[in-house]
Amino acid sequence: MKNLNYIIREAAEQDLEQIMELENACFGNDAWDADTMHFEVVAHHTHYLAAFDGPEETPKLIGFAGLSKIPGNDQADIQTIAVSEAARGKGVGKALMLELLKEARRLHTAEMFLEVRADNPAAQNLYLNLGFEHIDTRKRYYQPDDVDAWVMRLQFAKTSIGREPVVLGIETSCDETGVGIVRGNTLLANIISSSMDEHARFGGVVPEIAARAHLEALKPTLDQALAKANLSLKDIDAIAVTNGPGLGGALMVGIGAAKALSVAIEKPIYAVNHLVGHVGVDILERGELQTPTVALLVSGGHTSLLLVRDLLNDVELLGETIDDAAGEAFDKVARVLRLKYPGGPEIDKAAVGGDPKAIRFPRGLSLPKDMEKHRYDFSFSGLKTAVARWVEVAETKDEPINVADIAASFREAVADVLVTKAVNACLDHKVPRLLLGGGVVANARLRELAQERCDAHGIELRIPALSLCTDNGAMIAALGAQLMMAGRAPSSLHFGSDSTLPVTTVQSH
Amino acid sequence: MSNFTLCIDTSAGTTVAVLQGDEVRSEIHFDENMKHAERIGDAIAQAIAGAEISPARITNVVVGRGPAPFTGLRIGIAAAVMFSEGVGAKLWGVTSLEAIARAALVERGDASASDKPLLVTADARRSEVYWALYSGLTKSGAPILLEGPGVLKPAALEELLAGKEFDRTQIKINAADLGRVFEAQLLDGTASTDVGALYLREADAVAPKDLREFGKRVSG
Repeated sequence: MKNLNYIIREAAEQDLEQIMELENACFGNDAWDADTMHFEVVAHHTHYLAAFDGPEETPKLIGFAGLSKIPGNDQADIQTIAVSEAARGKGVGKALMLELLKEARRLHTAEMFLEVRADNPAAQNLYLNLGFEHIDTRKRYYQPDDVDAWVMRLQFAKTSIGREPVVLGIETSCDETGVGIVRGNTLLANIISSSMDEHARFGGVVPEIAARAHLEALKPTLDQALAKANLSLKDIDAIAVTNGPGLGGALMVGIGAAKALSVAIEKPIYAVNHLVGHVGVDILERGELQTPTVALLVSGGHTSLLLVRDLLNDVELLGETIDDAAGEAFDKVARVLRLKYPGGPEIDKAAVGGDPKAIRFPRGLSLPKDMEKHRYDFSFSGLKTAVARWVEVAETKDEPINVADIAASFREAVADVLVTKAVNACLDHKVPRLLLGGGVVANARLRELAQERCDAHGIELRIPALSLCTDNGAMIAALGAQLMMAGRAPSSLHFGSDSTLPVTTVQSH
Repeated sequence: MSNFTLCIDTSAGTTVAVLQGDEVRSEIHFDENMKHAERIGDAIAQAIAGAEISPARITNVVVGRGPAPFTGLRIGIAAAVMFSEGVGAKLWGVTSLEAIARAALVERGDASASDKPLLVTADARRSEVYWALYSGLTKSGAPILLEGPGVLKPAALEELLAGKEFDRTQIKINAADLGRVFEAQLLDGTASTDVGALYLREADAVAPKDLREFGKRVSG
């Protein structure tokens, strides 16, 4: 597998020479001898990975790691992990660990153990972040340095209840009340109740109206989801709820509901990130999320470009809108053109037969000077003003206004800048896939242009079903299930809403 | 009596109680008028633990409907709706001001001491107050509503009630009192299953400005 600038693959006999070189450089006195290493790498009960950097013809080993699991025993051990000094601090160790954890899950491991030097906090933190806990200390384990060893354990089975968990997800971050139910990676129900019609006369989402609507919609939406999944609340193993980012008052309705349900049915609760939910939803269609992937999330509230190396451990915000969200721009331009709310589908309709090249509307943050500071950021405020001005000038001159041309040209400008930046992100980071999410994905031209440009660059494009792209509870349930199956401890009952929750916080405690 | 009632009110702070008939088995209060979302889960869990029962023993859930500033109020109602759904309990709504009225009227003593009505007010923010006037208690102990509930500037309320005699109260809302009002209403046959939030104010929302006008201003 290709991981950004280096490659991780299974280690083989021909790698032994380089492995021993790195082993000796990293561990000195403690290093294994060549025979031991040979046995470890080729043995049937072990799984060794090697990371390489440099040109394809002469790749240089920069790290390796291995696990051991005796068949029939549900425990596994991390045998060793080493990263060359020059390659440290670049996430190579974490990437190796994540691959080993994947392998351990594939082998149905219940518990994974490792030892780490008590004087190596960097490594300890890496393991803690991956869900390991410090369970024991072996005194003076490392000789001749006379250093203690921490024994650390990751329990896959503790919360994964020995089968695929049934998780109920609640989403109330904007104007959609969503309740979804999943079993592991499988979608069982996805019911959405929208207050969109109530916002129509205001031309945009009114937070107080959205929050009032959530309160009304909660129970009927939950009832429908349970009926659709043919389950009762007794069958639910955990609750997941969006706690940000989003509208504070709206989020709090879902949080209050989810916490009370968790206490009532005596099941754990997971507070999860809305945007990461949009990324993870692909699992429900494909059974897994292929990583690394770039994700472009576009809705009425968000326009975010993410680099996802691992859904639960490594999500990076590359850029986002610095003013209006793309969906907001559609709504505002629809108003300029005297079209209805929500603007996306109305502009799509109006654009039929229009010439997308009729008017060259500006592409925000795309000038060379912007590309330094805002390479992956978006701006749609200027575009909206440009459309308004264009209409105004035409009106002043008493020229006929060709709504189809304006709609098509505006839509082209939005789609162009979104896709250009997303594809750039893929190329810059050598990531061969792009995932779209958010309600604006319904836009026909955006889908078309994304497909065209991805095909041209050999990038795999993933667009989940629209019911999973718009805000929904199923994606929240799916992310909760992933956390649970990865052995993550549930959230406490103390968490609150966070309107600006960063994507790096996948789960709040 | 084995009927346990879970009482939740988030019209001011976060207050939760478990009642067994008239007897208060546990009560949890977080006084601050914020952080309802953070507190509600712990408050319910602690109240149930304090009553030394499992959640499934709850057969009635009573929630304060306000009137109250919106964001916090909704959290308590959402929690009550979902808790009742989770354990299969009946769900009931009580006007939060009635819980204060009952506590104040009981404290004032038997009706012979004073037959003046009682004015109950609560902070509505934006320099307004929620208010209601109660004439006394039914034999079962449920407050009898005379006027309100409404929302007014304090000066407007004074004007409205000018010339009338009434008592005031400083008592704070307590979920246990909410439960006692419910028990009394149950006896009187006036208990209500309506848990709709008493907002008493329209949602703040302004009609959109004309974006063509907006465009003109920018270019002008």
